[in-house]
Amino acid sequence: MSAPDAAAPIELQVEPPVSLWRDAWHRLTRNRLAMAGLVIVAILTFLAVFGPWIAPYDFLAQDLDARNQAPSLLHLFGTDDLGRDVFSRVIYGARTAFVVAIVVTAIAVVIGVVLGAAAGYFGGLLDTFVMWLTDVTMSIPNLLLVVVINTSLKPPLARWMEARYLETLDPIYRNSIWIDFVLVFGSMALITWPPYARLVRAQVLSIRNRPYVTAARALGLPTLTILMRYIVPNALGSLIVAVSAGLGTAMVLESAFSFLGVGVNPPAPSWGNMISDGLRVWQHHPHLLAAPAILLGIATVGFSFLGDGLNDALNPKGMK
Amino acid sequence: MADLRSRSPVLAAGAAPASAPAADPRETILSVEGLAIDIAGRNGPARIVDGISFDLRRGETLGVVGESGCGKSLSMLSLVGLLPNKIRVTGGTATFDGRDLLSMSTKELRKLRGGEIGFVFQDPMTSLNPVMRIGDQLAEPLIYHRGLSRAQARARAGELMRLVGIPGGETRLDNYPHELSGGMRQRVMIAMGLACEPSVLIADEPTTALDVTIQAQIVELVTSLRARLGMSVVWITHDLALIAGLADRLIVLYAGTIVEDAPVDDLYARPTHPYTRGLLGSIPRLAGDGTSAARLPSIGGTPPEPGRRPPGCPFAPRCHQRMPVCESRVPQLEPVSGGNPAHKVACFAARDIREAAQ
Repeated sequence: MSAPDAAAPIELQVEPPVSLWRDAWHRLTRNRLAMAGLVIVAILTFLAVFGPWIAPYDFLAQDLDARNQAPSLLHLFGTDDLGRDVFSRVIYGARTAFVVAIVVTAIAVVIGVVLGAAAGYFGGLLDTFVMWLTDVTMSIPNLLLVVVINTSLKPPLARWMEARYLETLDPIYRNSIWIDFVLVFGSMALITWPPYARLVRAQVLSIRNRPYVTAARALGLPTLTILMRYIVPNALGSLIVAVSAGLGTAMVLESAFSFLGVGVNPPAPSWGNMISDGLRVWQHHPHLLAAPAILLGIATVGFSFLGDGLNDALNPKGMK
Repeated sequence: MADLRSRSPVLAAGAAPASAPAADPRETILSVEGLAIDIAGRNGPARIVDGISFDLRRGETLGVVGESGCGKSLSMLSLVGLLPNKIRVTGGTATFDGRDLLSMSTKELRKLRGGEIGFVFQDPMTSLNPVMRIGDQLAEPLIYHRGLSRAQARARAGELMRLVGIPGGETRLDNYPHELSGGMRQRVMIAMGLACEPSVLIADEPTTALDVTIQAQIVELVTSLRARLGMSVVWITHDLALIAGLADRLIVLYAGTIVEDAPVDDLYARPTHPYTRGLLGSIPRLAGDGTSAARLPSIGGTPPEPGRRPPGCPFAPRCHQRMPVCESRVPQLEPVSGGNPAHKVACFAARDIREAAQ
């Protein structure tokens, strides 16, 4: 088959295809602050993932002969009032922070994308209802909601676990740490999804009238295909930026709740409850407060640098 | 692959042109009668398209001409259920290949769009999904309408790329839209519109966003494809110079009504409606010595807004040949006595204008 003659004078492009993402990556790597953020996040991720192999001690191992020690070569960040190695606990704390941040953000993003995309695309009553739902959720004070959920759900859940344990003698039911996690995941996801829903809805509202969406409809593609392949991917840039910032926020939120005793409870290691414990004795053993607080600070800064960098990389039009 | 090739008139392009569908060329494929479209507004519905009627025969190219906002695009989009919110069809009938378009379910319409009625849109820069590879976008309608596997669809997409004359053909399937020029993208859009070999291609100002040399290439491409595939084309445009060499028949729209409907040669030889004459008069022409003539004539005033149309002829307020009757009664679209019966004009002064021109 020969091409129509009209096409003959146009030359072939020889470069390999460059994706939008690679373009964005290129812009990201030229931004120093963003790279600093990326490095911090990468190191923290490494710590969180490989924690058990890096931590010199078990996070629960007590050494009552070596309590409240100042930092030394043996205990890099010293020990706490039960003689537990603070360095190990901080590393496990990073694990907690990451798991909570990632799971919570993932749940929140899924809820937000589904509700926001549906509301934005279909509009009408569904839109009104979803927006009403986000307003209601956002109007409830976060802390209050988490306290209510924890105090009202935790005791019956703990009682049920206890009963199951006595019934089956299965040790799974004796471990109370994961009740904390489930409650923290659930309650935090519940309060963090509305911003994602709003963001996605706003994006979908602007994208659904773009010519390529009309073109896709004119091709007779099913609605779900149009939503998932034409609309949501084009909203992904802003969503990634929001997620990167959201991960940092979720970490701080987890620490805040744990600090107040409604998040992850001791003995599970969390930066928040370590800060809370350290605060009581900071005049005598400042390292107990400093270690988790500094790490939390670094993590927050890292995520926010990365978020800003991603914003510039993925939305280059806004950049001067 | 082999069976795909033998099934498809597009792919069997090496064969004689006889491979085009052997339907009666004079058969009407799309028939629109008294189509009316309203937009919901604060003061109740306002009429945007007011009773337009036309027939499209197999293999015919129909040019739809008019200025922005006269309802050209909307009337075409309304046929396949693509009207925006708040705009709806309130009257008339539309029949495609014997089926009633306006009473079809959403699902049936979806099958029709892209499958039997293809679209090409105005702006190739924004009509392709920027985050999807071209090959995937081309494959989408094939997978959905033709039930091809991803691999088959990709192979077919490559052939389509060659068909519309994209240099490199299937090697460009992995490109993203931003890596192609405007003209190339419009070729991709045409390939998408043609992917399922529709019997009607609706091209909505497909060359408006392109420069003149590329315009010529696109026109040539569509003309050659139409001949090869035996499809009908509705070409929406406001460019009378461009459509002259392309269409078999033209309808001129003004403020949601057809003011003139004529075979293309007849229209250019004997433009009759004052609006058509105004449009033709405002095409820039070079004088004999190569310099531009005096100041370019234009039609004074602006088209009436929907809902504020005059009671009589919608063009009357801007018309030089206005008579008292024009302001009270709406002229009907009818042949001018003594002229070609296929040349219809909606103007009370049609006859006088005709005679004055001779």
